[in-house]
Amino acid sequence: MNKKISKIAVLGSGIMGSGIACHFANIGVEVLLLDICPKELSDSEKNRNLSIDSKEVKNRIVNDMFNKCIKSKPSPIYNKKFIERVTLGNFEDDIEKISDVDWIIEVVVEKLEIKKTVFDLVEKYRTNGTLVTSNTSGIPIKLMNEGRSEDFKKNFAITHFFNPPRYLNLFEVIPGPDCDKNVLDFLMEYGEKFLGKTSVLAKDTPAFIGNRIGTFGIQSLFHQVKNGEYTVEEVDKLTGTAIGRPKSATFRTADVVGLDTLCHVANGIYENCPDDESRNVFKLPDFLKKMLDEKMLGSKTKKGFYKKVVGKDGKSKILSLNLKTLEYNEQKKVNFETLNAARKVKSRAEKFKVLVSGDDKASHFYREVFAKMFAYVQHRVPEISDDLHSIDSALRAGFGWKEGPFEIWNYLGVKEGVDLMKRFDFEPAEWITEMVSNNINNFYKTNNGLTECYDKNTKSYLKIPGQDGFIILKNSTDEKVIWSNKEARLIDIGDDILNLEFGSKMNSINQNIIQALDKSIDLAESSYKGLVLGNESPHFSAGADISVIFLAAVEQEYDELNYFMKMFQNTMMKLRYSSIPVIGAPHGYTLGGGCEVCLHCDKLIAYSETYIGLVEVGVGLVPGGGGLKEMALRASETFRPNDVEVNLLQEYFINIGMAKTATSAYEGFDLDYLVKGRDNVVMNKKNQISIAKNVAINMYDMGYTKPIPKRNIKVLGKQGLGMLYVGADSMLAGGYISEHDKKIANKIANVLCGGELSQATLVSEQYLLDLEREAFLSLCGEKKTLERIQYMLKNGKPLRN
Amino acid sequence: MKEAYVIKAYRTAVGKAPRGFFKFKRPDELAAETIEYLISQIHDFDKTLIDDLIVGNAMPEAEQGFNVARLISLMGLKVDDVPGVTVNRFCASGLETIAIAAAKIKSGMSDCIIAGGVESMSYIPMTGFKPVPNYNTVSKGKEDYYWGMGLTAEEVANQFKVGREEQDIFAYESHKKAIKALENNKFDSQIAPITVNEVYLDENLNKNERQNTFKKDQGPREDTSLEALGKLRPVFSATGSVTAGNSSQMSDGAAFVMIVSEEMLKKLNVDPIAKLVSYSVAGLPPKIMGMGPVKAVPKSLKQAGLKMNDIQLIELNEAFASQSIAVINELKLDKDIVNVNGGAIALGHPLGCSGAKLSVQLFNEMKQRKLKYGMVTMCVGTGQGAAGIFEIL
Repeated sequence: MNKKISKIAVLGSGIMGSGIACHFANIGVEVLLLDICPKELSDSEKNRNLSIDSKEVKNRIVNDMFNKCIKSKPSPIYNKKFIERVTLGNFEDDIEKISDVDWIIEVVVEKLEIKKTVFDLVEKYRTNGTLVTSNTSGIPIKLMNEGRSEDFKKNFAITHFFNPPRYLNLFEVIPGPDCDKNVLDFLMEYGEKFLGKTSVLAKDTPAFIGNRIGTFGIQSLFHQVKNGEYTVEEVDKLTGTAIGRPKSATFRTADVVGLDTLCHVANGIYENCPDDESRNVFKLPDFLKKMLDEKMLGSKTKKGFYKKVVGKDGKSKILSLNLKTLEYNEQKKVNFETLNAARKVKSRAEKFKVLVSGDDKASHFYREVFAKMFAYVQHRVPEISDDLHSIDSALRAGFGWKEGPFEIWNYLGVKEGVDLMKRFDFEPAEWITEMVSNNINNFYKTNNGLTECYDKNTKSYLKIPGQDGFIILKNSTDEKVIWSNKEARLIDIGDDILNLEFGSKMNSINQNIIQALDKSIDLAESSYKGLVLGNESPHFSAGADISVIFLAAVEQEYDELNYFMKMFQNTMMKLRYSSIPVIGAPHGYTLGGGCEVCLHCDKLIAYSETYIGLVEVGVGLVPGGGGLKEMALRASETFRPNDVEVNLLQEYFINIGMAKTATSAYEGFDLDYLVKGRDNVVMNKKNQISIAKNVAINMYDMGYTKPIPKRNIKVLGKQGLGMLYVGADSMLAGGYISEHDKKIANKIANVLCGGELSQATLVSEQYLLDLEREAFLSLCGEKKTLERIQYMLKNGKPLRN
Repeated sequence: MKEAYVIKAYRTAVGKAPRGFFKFKRPDELAAETIEYLISQIHDFDKTLIDDLIVGNAMPEAEQGFNVARLISLMGLKVDDVPGVTVNRFCASGLETIAIAAAKIKSGMSDCIIAGGVESMSYIPMTGFKPVPNYNTVSKGKEDYYWGMGLTAEEVANQFKVGREEQDIFAYESHKKAIKALENNKFDSQIAPITVNEVYLDENLNKNERQNTFKKDQGPREDTSLEALGKLRPVFSATGSVTAGNSSQMSDGAAFVMIVSEEMLKKLNVDPIAKLVSYSVAGLPPKIMGMGPVKAVPKSLKQAGLKMNDIQLIELNEAFASQSIAVINELKLDKDIVNVNGGAIALGHPLGCSGAKLSVQLFNEMKQRKLKYGMVTMCVGTGQGAAGIFEIL
């Protein structure tokens, strides 16, 4: 289906409606967001003598809801400038405008009658062939189809976003019985490629896939812990990052989502799934009912499973709920032998094996959790999905789990999972028994770099669809790894392109990574066409390894530090001035040294969720790996004749001095860490590396010539320095920065201006690199800088001293 | 020495900057039309009698650059004969020009001068477009020479212990007095009405034209309250007390007076309004520029041979509530005679125009109250103060 989406209408401007509107605006689509008109004037409208028919009043609901949404944090919008892509209106005056949109998304209240009224309106103004989807999370499609025209039903499906739509990647698509196959295929592809989501095909069953399994998981835990054998903080420790789930784990997540919402979904499943073999799990345990009665709903009522209180010392602390007494107590430190043992294991599969094989309370907890989960999901195929990988995908994309239930089971082995279930009196489903008797012990395997998944109908492994365009580094076979060291792998990704994959902690830049970069360029230059710097970790690189810098600085080994920084700088210059195109593929945190690596690439293919910035000030340093040099160079390139150059330079100075980080790739352009007209943004992280690879090939094919180092960078000398010094001093006087911040700021100014030159002068890159290194090293000798580094290493956040 | 008499004095209404009613009015036009109005108030006046036009301006660049005084003369007087000079002493510029004019006439160098000031803060930002502090100076720890004025207001608040609440009350009262003055049409007779022609695109992007004439100050807010003022965050310092509410407003405006010699007075056969008795300026540390009047006022009194008690009405430019309060306390001023119709916090502070504008206001109020000695005083950026004493005739 060759459909193009350039304009959509979103009907309903609640949290989801506004969020969906913002996300479409994020990808460049024009959005018409409509909601109902208020029935009465508000007090302030009365005071201002407005009439109920005035445009301002009629749009009040949509205005208020949308404004609330765009002010929420984290921001639903990539860049504030994109807000203008959304036009607000109301159902009375603007509904006819849906006649020229390409897609209408219904996000009104979850009441069938109201939805039907809206669909009546849609039917009245919609042009035949226009897509219509509902974002319902519970109303069956067959009911919504009632009374609709043939053309409507043919173009109608449920597209279920997760909140917040920008950040949660699950996009469930549920076609109705009359939905055109082309429409379905289009929605699945659009979700992946354009919206950057993980499209999961689901059936018209209650709560679809994500919420059905997710709610089961949380409800089953509620029952497991209702007798108070585990504290709230213990459960959160056990069900968070320890098993690859978000840090907020179970109870903290429940507090954020709201207990009422959670219970509402659970009740819905209980009501609508009379044949579910575990239906009773969806019944609320007594303590939950009491919590609902007591309005202990979580963040929205300021008390839930946790409660923030201010202690006698004026410091706030967070108490946890005793599930038995429903009183709040101080949290106790959680320590389990099994967790300590698992932490030492690197392989994910081995980690889960350790988790379920211990003798302590934690291990028992895990056995029960996984047994129940395995028992539940095995019966959901084919009820909610014909394939098991969709269930895993849904949990990964919608709930932030690192692995879905079948993947965890796969780690333990199919048979071992069955044994685990049996210990808790669960019987394996027929198809599982069949797998075991056929000695098939895996749900997943990789073949030729692609992932295959067991299909219970054909009893064979089938390639998971949609991977064709992807490069999956973690599936690379050993012979594709042409070079590696302890913390990096250089992988041949085909067509004469190499990819360097960082593998240090948080992908921090250290000696091994620098060595790998150096080696990669040598190898790529000798017999390849291009190099991609990409990885599949959550973050591209969180920065330089400050622990090494700290140790050398404490030991006052300045020669060694100088050597390291010089090596870093030289490698960056080698990256910049190699004879092959180097494509950076930043995503997630791309900070400090990680940002500097990107600044020296020929081109960036950035994932939309890229948080890039030079944040060295936070640890009392300045960018030392060419970051300052590069920003001085970029500032100089923006100068035009007769410009007031210092004003332009000041923006760069502030960005670095205040350690500004872009909250999306698009903001990265505003900070000039990404280059307009050169770098690109991809919406889906899964195809980032393959796109980067194609770009490398293209650049090679267009005739890539090694660039010549710049010798004509205009720096302002004293003409610029004065203003920047005054700026820093004013910030200090205003109490916005500390004395040490000012000292660092002045050093940044000095590099950006090329030092105390009498007038604006043209300089070379090496001149600036030397100044930069000098500034970096001088700060390494500062006590306050060392305190900052130490604090960051210990607490993971910056110290203001 | 000869005598110098103020015979005409007008000001524009003051618009808010940068989004007020004069945002489309270039400062050269604003000043030219004010002068045109002033001239029109003298019957059958021969413009070639004017010896010079002296224009005060705090940021003489861009639309205010190019020796704007000469351009204003050509545009406003529509004769080639009257030259123009632009004078800058930041916020005292408008008073400085009156002093220069009076001094020239008293010494016999001129017989008729138009003096005053204009500022469009809508067009020209406070620091100008290209601030280039001297690195050799600032790197020796003298960054404060170039500090924003807000920081100096914080410094004064700290050094002279002026609290947030006190500042907010001061600001609130300024608005209250100004609103009352507007309600009583106190300023009407001193205002040169200014017409703004605006060519703009309407919401359908069609070209349109509109014309409005402005005669009332835009700054005073009827809806302000101590509560609302108390909610504002400090704007210059993370930990400070100076807010947008207790600072003077950014403004656009112009004000001019005509000063003549005794001979010219007779020739024109007009009544004098006032004469400048004394004018003094003084310097102090830039960090506490807000205290400028504390040094300038005693100097001016001494020069005039007067005592503080002799001064019956005072226009003290309210750059910030913090410095106004500190100055009032240090000089032990009688609060009841200071800024009786509100000050810059409510009425606005078009930098280079303010000295002339406050003089115009002073003349009118004193005439109504039938008083003799009045004073205009202000703090001036980079650590200065200015004070002028007028005798009303």
